[in-house]
Amino acid sequence: MSVVTYGGASPARRSVAISPTLAALILLTLAGFVASVWRLIVGMGPTTALTDDYPWGIWIGFDFGLIAFAGAGFTMTTIVYVLGLERFREALRPAVLAGLCGYIAVLLLLVLDLGRWDRFYHFLIYWNVHSPLFEISWCVLLYTTVLLFENSPQLFERLGRHGLVRLIHQYVIPLVVIGLTLSSLHQSTLGTLYLNMPYRLQTLWYSPILSLLFFVSSIMAGLSIAMIAYMVAARLRGRSAKPAILSGLATGVAWVALVYVVLKVGDLWLAGELPALFAFDRISGLMWLELGVLAVLPMLLFFVPSLRNRRSVQWVGAVMILCGVLLNRFNATLFAQLAPAGATYSPHILEWLSTIGVLAAALLAWYLGVRYLAAFEDSHQEG
Amino acid sequence: MSRGMLIDLTKCIGCRACQAACKQWNELSAETTHNGGSYQNPPRFSDKTWTLVTFNEVETQAKFAWVFAKRQCMHCEHPACASVCTVGALHKTAEGPVLYDAGKCIGCRYCQYACPFGVPSFEWQNTFSLIRKCTMCANRQAEGLEPACAKACPTGAIRFGEREELLAEARSRIAAQPEGYINHIYGEDEVGGTSIMYMSAVPFAQLGFPELGDQPVTQAAENIMQQTPTIAIGVAAVASGLYWVLKRRQQQATAKTAEAATDKGTKREGEKS
Repeated sequence: MSVVTYGGASPARRSVAISPTLAALILLTLAGFVASVWRLIVGMGPTTALTDDYPWGIWIGFDFGLIAFAGAGFTMTTIVYVLGLERFREALRPAVLAGLCGYIAVLLLLVLDLGRWDRFYHFLIYWNVHSPLFEISWCVLLYTTVLLFENSPQLFERLGRHGLVRLIHQYVIPLVVIGLTLSSLHQSTLGTLYLNMPYRLQTLWYSPILSLLFFVSSIMAGLSIAMIAYMVAARLRGRSAKPAILSGLATGVAWVALVYVVLKVGDLWLAGELPALFAFDRISGLMWLELGVLAVLPMLLFFVPSLRNRRSVQWVGAVMILCGVLLNRFNATLFAQLAPAGATYSPHILEWLSTIGVLAAALLAWYLGVRYLAAFEDSHQEG
Repeated sequence: MSRGMLIDLTKCIGCRACQAACKQWNELSAETTHNGGSYQNPPRFSDKTWTLVTFNEVETQAKFAWVFAKRQCMHCEHPACASVCTVGALHKTAEGPVLYDAGKCIGCRYCQYACPFGVPSFEWQNTFSLIRKCTMCANRQAEGLEPACAKACPTGAIRFGEREELLAEARSRIAAQPEGYINHIYGEDEVGGTSIMYMSAVPFAQLGFPELGDQPVTQAAENIMQQTPTIAIGVAAVASGLYWVLKRRQQQATAKTAEAATDKGTKREGEKS
């Protein structure tokens, strides 16, 4: 996220000089590409630390975290188009572009994780409607298509194809409603996915309302990405982010985080699991970190107006929420999984390289999009 | 007519003939051997080891006992692996075995997380990797033969037959020898029942069998997955309704101040949609 330093307050927009951040993103993308191709050629045995005890690793952890992050798209389109909150429109495009880059990265990571990656399309042919992963695959594919349409005006405006922009705009409401529907389905189904692991997932995480928790947490992650995307995009395009928009989004994050925390604590209470929170062992520590430090704390920061209006707090709060949601997905996938005694998983260097490479590619794509496409609706007027 | 196997652990002598017969029939290669501190080898199922005799050192009635447990796919009545499989590559057959279609599998490994018995195993060493697991020798059954493990067992610890008949047999054995068995047929009710069932003299928890409820593993998730069309229609309807109501309210507000409205390009464009 340190791309924000690029260009400073007055970016030289036509400069071809490559900043250290951009160079690092390109290098990481290339390294990740090589690692990924190597993994696809030789298989997972020599390139991962995955085993039958830990079949899923950091690919899935980051993948499911990234799906929540990419919720920036559906949350912002819903706010602006469905709820008609026009005052947030300026933050729309950077968020929807982040959504698209996120989902493409999600698809790439998913392909890396498949034993038969050459059959990645099989879910289109062979159906199993009971399977959460089947539904998620379909929704992610369809929603990525929706995101392509939702983002297309950024390209068409840049190319001066205003007829196409108007055409997309005519159908924007159905697009947004379909996007929201697909997102509601698969964001919650990611929780249902873990509902199928009653004997593997630790009881502090396993809950009948996992679907709801995953959906709500995707909204707070999406809004946090929207905040960061707006701040960085404004800076990259040499404009100042409107304090009212950021403050409004932060307030939204705080309320959604409150709903999440109430649901989570209420669920633990009803299940009689609250005492387990006070065991202060590794497992309860993870829950305290995820829920207390990385959800309640940023929520409080964002509820206090004097704090919420400060740019530094907006950064810190949004990043904390994102870390919390990412940790939640990692806990569900790895740390709170009851693997057989003695089983360990420490990610292979190539798992790290390929993951970081895909993430860097997504950041790079977003950066280039914001810099060279119409990242703001009036940006073609900038000349 | 669903077939299964009844495995009487009190009769198992840990010879591993079943383990070898399984490898032979299914043409599975050998494992690299490590000394894990016991006679058990290998430590767990793998793509090359579909059935495995576990060696358990337990204390029962203040005495040491060495209890062997021949483990393999339980062939659940409601298999979690089949319920979660992204591409429906696993299915329960009417004859009993839970079978796997290697032509469909994409190697996502979700089945490994859903199975409470740790059965589905992955071919980690291949470039194109698939899931492998016990088939209850469905191909032998189709020829009227019993599974290779049952055939190989020298002590009759593994009985192959109709599940209902095996259950009746197990109950009568317990009734005839109540001091020789615990009153628990593992697999009768676990996760909705399994085609493979066990009898033992010591509690199953001491032998590494997971303690499971009677509900199928995937029941809760399937109930939610069934609601998918309802959720989709509901969300789309609520979102559309919300849009319509808010838009209308906004238009009414704008109409009232129509005279005051000046030429604001962006806003007018928004209203057109």
